[in-house]
Amino acid sequence: MGQPLVPEAALKPTSTTYRGKSGQWAFVGHRVSGFLVFLFLLLHIVDVSLANTSERLYDEVHELYGNVLLRLFEVGLLFALLFHALNGLRIVVVDFFPGAVRNERVLLAWVVFLTLAAGIPGGYVIMKPWIDGTF
Amino acid sequence: MATTTPRPVESRPEGQPRPARPRHNFETWSWFFMRVSGLALLFLALTHFALTHIVNDVVETDFDFVANRWDNPLWRVFDWALLSLALLHGLNGLRLIVDDYVRVPARRAATKAVLYTTSGVLFAYGTLTILTFPSSG
Repeated sequence: MGQPLVPEAALKPTSTTYRGKSGQWAFVGHRVSGFLVFLFLLLHIVDVSLANTSERLYDEVHELYGNVLLRLFEVGLLFALLFHALNGLRIVVVDFFPGAVRNERVLLAWVVFLTLAAGIPGGYVIMKPWIDGTF
Repeated sequence: MATTTPRPVESRPEGQPRPARPRHNFETWSWFFMRVSGLALLFLALTHFALTHIVNDVVETDFDFVANRWDNPLWRVFDWALLSLALLHGLNGLRLIVDDYVRVPARRAATKAVLYTTSGVLFAYGTLTILTFPSSG
């Protein structure tokens, strides 16, 4: 581990506040979405593994995912996945094609646009059984 | 700006070879792994999500759905690749987050111990599930 770039004593308490530039928000969004997807992954490994314990138990637990609240949770998961995947792609592009840094904000706009463009219809499909009242 | 930055003064004597530096340390590989696994996961995770939430409704992915799918060993390979890459990618991401925010050494070590243990146990559990799920064929 190296020395901190700025001596800690020289930092004012206010200096850690995010100033809201788009790249910083992308960084925050990437961390938060990654953390949430990781937590879901831990849960998901356990619920799928119930299939090896008992067929009935797996089906009972699994039926919960059809619940409205968990459907909303799945829509959130879809948005987190899409944003993390597309923003990750943006990071890869910027890392491997240094010239892309100049268009970094345009790339982020595409990330947000594609997340919404795929997430909204996807979210509608997930919520449709509840909207139609079939589940 | 018009000012020119002076070139950094090198302290090594004239004519001496540049000292060897480790060009590929652990963090370099960590960086590279995140990019490569991320690209793979973009395909694996989004395909998985589309199949279990969009193409099929989530309530249709019951025990029989899993049994049907895992009759094909290629789906077991797909799911195991997704499991291991997602866990490692997430674990490495969490490791960097812990390094950033947990500053007290003892607390950082404890947090990482929990993180590594949980991930390791769930990796073993998930792998066991995919390997030992009975094939109906």
